[in-house]
Amino acid sequence: MDLQNQQRIVDAAEKYGAENCVVILGSSDAEGAEIYAETVTNGDPTFAGPLAGVPLGLAVYHVFDEEIRSECNEAQWEEQISMMEMVLEPDALAAAVKGMRDEFSKFKL
Amino acid sequence: MGKLAGKKLLLLGERDGVPGPAMEACLKESGAEIVFSATECFV
Repeated sequence: MDLQNQQRIVDAAEKYGAENCVVILGSSDAEGAEIYAETVTNGDPTFAGPLAGVPLGLAVYHVFDEEIRSECNEAQWEEQISMMEMVLEPDALAAAVKGMRDEFSKFKL
Repeated sequence: MGKLAGKKLLLLGERDGVPGPAMEACLKESGAEIVFSATECFV
């Protein structure tokens, strides 16, 4: 994950409290989604950025996870996301993030 | 109000997946505050 975005996540967790933050991913592949999810829960696995060794344990979901999808505006979903939903593998992406969430997240919705 | 109400959302989109602004549009009425929205790309 981009180092600048890691810093923004650290800052948001400090400012608002980790229990109030929810990270939502739009990753296109399951492996990438897992790395992002690991980074915001258990810390940066590459030990390169501000989240290295910082296990924030944030709640993290893929946007295709039913828990998030059900909170989305239906008309906007159709317009903005439904095309990518057909092209990508929504179930695999949601499951990849869930795996990391179940293992490392301290907070959930 | 849904389960996102009152939460702070950190949106990490991807250019080849779902970009940040698309997630923003879908979630702005969820009752949560969007703290930041980013779109990363891998080239």
